[in-house]
Amino acid sequence: MKRRALLLSAGALAATGRMARAAEDVVIGVVYPLTGNGAAVGLDAKAAYEVAVDIVNGTHAPIPMLMGQGGGLAKLGGAKIKLVFADSQNDPQKARAEAERLITQEKAVAILGSYTSATGATISQVTERYEVPYLAADNSSPSLHQRGLKWFFRTSPHDEMFTQGMFDFFRDIGAKTGRKAKTVALFYEDSIFGSDSSNVQRKLAQAAGMEVVADIKYRAASPSLSTEAQKLKSANADVILPSSYTSDAILIMKSMNDIGYKPKAMMAQAAGFQESAFLAGAGALAEGVMSRSSFALDATKSRPAITPVNTLYKAHNNKDMNDNTSREITALLTLADAINRAGSAKPEAIRQALVATDVPGDQTIMPWKGIKFDASGQNTLGTPVMQQVSGGIYRTVWPFELAVMEANWLV
Amino acid sequence: MDNAILRRRKREVLGGVIVLAALALLPLPIKDVYTQNLIIITVLFAGLAQAWNILGGYCGQISLGHALYFGVGGYVSTLLYLKAGLPPSLGLFAAFGVSGLLALPVGWPCFRLSGHYYAIATVVVGEIGYLLFLNWDFVGGATGVFIPFHGESWAQLQFKTAKLPYHYLVLAFAAATWLTAFLLEGSRWGFAWRAVKDDVTAARSLGVNIFSSKMAAAALSGGFTGMGGAIYAQYVGYIDPDSVLAGHFSILIALPAVLGGVSTLWGPLIGAAVLMPASELSRSYLGGSGRGVDLMLYGGLIVIVALARPQGLVSLFGRKDDHARIA
Amino acid sequence: MPVAEILQVAAGGLLMGLIYALVAAGLSLIFGLMDVVNFAHGELMMLAMYAVFAIWQLTGADPLLLLPVVAVLLFGLGMAIYRGLIARALSVQFNRGMVQIFVTFGLAIFIRGAAQFVWGGEFRSVTGHWLADRSLNLGGVFLPLPQVAASLVCLAAFAGLLMVSRTEFGKALEATREDRDAVALIGIDRDRIFAMGWGLGAGAVGIAGVMLAGFYYVGPNVGASFAVIAYVTVALGGFGSMLGALVAGVLIGEVEAFTAALWEPSLKQVGVFAVYLLVLTFRPRGLFGKM
Repeated sequence: MKRRALLLSAGALAATGRMARAAEDVVIGVVYPLTGNGAAVGLDAKAAYEVAVDIVNGTHAPIPMLMGQGGGLAKLGGAKIKLVFADSQNDPQKARAEAERLITQEKAVAILGSYTSATGATISQVTERYEVPYLAADNSSPSLHQRGLKWFFRTSPHDEMFTQGMFDFFRDIGAKTGRKAKTVALFYEDSIFGSDSSNVQRKLAQAAGMEVVADIKYRAASPSLSTEAQKLKSANADVILPSSYTSDAILIMKSMNDIGYKPKAMMAQAAGFQESAFLAGAGALAEGVMSRSSFALDATKSRPAITPVNTLYKAHNNKDMNDNTSREITALLTLADAINRAGSAKPEAIRQALVATDVPGDQTIMPWKGIKFDASGQNTLGTPVMQQVSGGIYRTVWPFELAVMEANWLV
Repeated sequence: MDNAILRRRKREVLGGVIVLAALALLPLPIKDVYTQNLIIITVLFAGLAQAWNILGGYCGQISLGHALYFGVGGYVSTLLYLKAGLPPSLGLFAAFGVSGLLALPVGWPCFRLSGHYYAIATVVVGEIGYLLFLNWDFVGGATGVFIPFHGESWAQLQFKTAKLPYHYLVLAFAAATWLTAFLLEGSRWGFAWRAVKDDVTAARSLGVNIFSSKMAAAALSGGFTGMGGAIYAQYVGYIDPDSVLAGHFSILIALPAVLGGVSTLWGPLIGAAVLMPASELSRSYLGGSGRGVDLMLYGGLIVIVALARPQGLVSLFGRKDDHARIA
Repeated sequence: MPVAEILQVAAGGLLMGLIYALVAAGLSLIFGLMDVVNFAHGELMMLAMYAVFAIWQLTGADPLLLLPVVAVLLFGLGMAIYRGLIARALSVQFNRGMVQIFVTFGLAIFIRGAAQFVWGGEFRSVTGHWLADRSLNLGGVFLPLPQVAASLVCLAAFAGLLMVSRTEFGKALEATREDRDAVALIGIDRDRIFAMGWGLGAGAVGIAGVMLAGFYYVGPNVGASFAVIAYVTVALGGFGSMLGALVAGVLIGEVEAFTAALWEPSLKQVGVFAVYLLVLTFRPRGLFGKM
């Protein structure tokens, strides 16, 4: 019976000349660093996409969110999504070559990626030339969507949106407790991520009337950060704003502790600070650290899909979803929904469907207002949350209506 | 004796022409972009390795800092294009000039160092260049430089999806490095360098100014490496310090020459033809597992080739008299 | 800068410098003995750190207790690498210098891949041991205990290396260094000496890895962070000189710390490299290298 229905819908599609592809797998290319420096994050991303694609393709109890009903892409005759992973080794040239391979050889109709902004820059260039959508799940550099690309889409908020959230939080918590943060210290690695993040922070600190009392750019993956910690201690800012990946995040917490410095407040630009390896490595030292996040694992009341999705993810990768993996799952679901709405695996149709995307926040696992792309391909409804480590896990403290606890604000 | 050398050199030229023709025809029947890309990267690295070979092989100065010239070349042509409007097709030559000149002040102090001291010093100079570019806002700092696409053009060396133009570009580049190496082999300098390797004092008595010939080798080697970097930047469309100046690039440039056969005309090409596909294919088809299997295979391959064929893979093809010459 | 801060920066530089020195000591030893630069040296350190992590995770044993175990493991590994690869690399007829560089370089890539195969790409930390996250406060200058312990062990290891050089074996080592071919005539088994040299070199960097694991994260690429500094330390001190490695290590630690304090933290290694190039201009074979 069901099979007949499928055949019927396939017959309907035949009229538009798409029959041959109707029940075929829809191939999506996924480019991440799976070896080398970014491998840990890349491997988590791989697990996240595998979970997301199982949700789309598999048979399971419906999950209350976009594409949560399973059974493949209904409007493509139940076609399944097939992911092909490629290793960029965090090298822009290799990312570019792999994107080309996925498009031309694996016949990928869209690309997902890519963790670092440098690889995002070259992948988006390839997709532009081959006219295939690139959906940036977790690249957060603002420079990416400002290049007038037609095939670039980003579900994730970018650094400016994230940082704006941080300063909104400082304002709100200051008003609430009467203890306003007046000084900040910037601490960022010498990479595209660090410089983008710090540029925005410098600008917004000035706009908020806060003084930047230390502006420390450090060498990523250094053997030692003890002098850098000493500089932070001397400045003793109300809030330290670090932008670091996992290894340096662990090291700076230890280095500050080594010289007997306990900062009043730290607000991280996520990245390494949101990794479970950071929480494990820094242990008790991480208590009280705050971080922006695009994800709130504890927002289960307003986002009922979080619990079932996290259960699946945990079963697959033995850890909870985090800032990165949640965005990756969301990106895939958004893309699957667009392909489904397009009713076609043709890149141009997918692009148009992406442009028309308008998903309310409660249809996702994210605490966002929703997903809606502007002319540059940027999701304008991706609103961040602020979280604080308490009892070894991150808990949401802002926006206050989503908060699960009061922020421990020691300024 | 002279006749034997002359005959051998004629044979090399003939071989060069045949290989050039074969490489020119090679991509024509290939339709898939991935293989085309692989061939382009292979030929580019054959040229880069040959450029390295001029200094590291023929002249015997094992440089582990060529990423500096490669990266600087890429930045020179890209910045001249974006900030001064100089088309990259001309920028290639500017890159050659700047990187070549840069090799002089680097070579001047370093040539006084012997053996491993020289190798480590080149690593350090390369690292300094990397760190300075990373912290230099004028050249884009860590953010790097993005080359916008302005439509197909030979002057600007931009092609939407076509790979063939890049193929001929890198082929011309590799041929130029080969020709330079060929001419050096037969030159007075070439003889002098071979003599230096055997016996420094004997070479001095030949009346050749070793130091200035080394400087010339450094300039040529650095210049060609810079030109390769300029081509690479244009091909990838984006450069940042991590992708063109980082230390591992120095190894990538030297490796094909070392494994293929140093101080030989064909070693760099043979080395690149084995290494680049091995690295790309193992990453593409095994890297996806994320278990590091690709790194183990690649590293293992380097160890095995270096031990099994210390004189380079070229010796698998070579004739007896060539062996004698390499030794 | 207030005096307390200057002292704090200097203390940080000293503690790190001693670690650099110990990492470099093994490298220098191997070089001095047989003219081989081991480009997989950082990876050996990484393996030692992973060994600590793995045993700690399994048994909960304190990293300090694991010191002898891991040092012996690395000693064996060093000898195995010599027997399996380096002896072959030294016996080749062509391009010996290049072959040994690239054999150890290939080995480094292989070890990185293998580490990822076994432990994944995740960063790991050894936490909760008895020195972890504790510091000694000396009138406002803080000395983190894991680093202090590492420094003491480092000095002890140098003393140990010095003692070894006084033994019968040490004299054979020195003789082999002086004249590789002549020693065979007086009945010294050169191959055995070389293998022991590799064992000692790997053991030394293994000790450094164990102590480092007490306060530093572990990951497949952790060796690379230390490798370049180690090569510079050895070349600055003079290849083959133990005293050189010690002095150069401390010097580099201090230059790095003060470059970060007084100039740009992101350029602290440029400060180190500049000092190195400056020294090499006047002493092409480093501070203590034989001219």
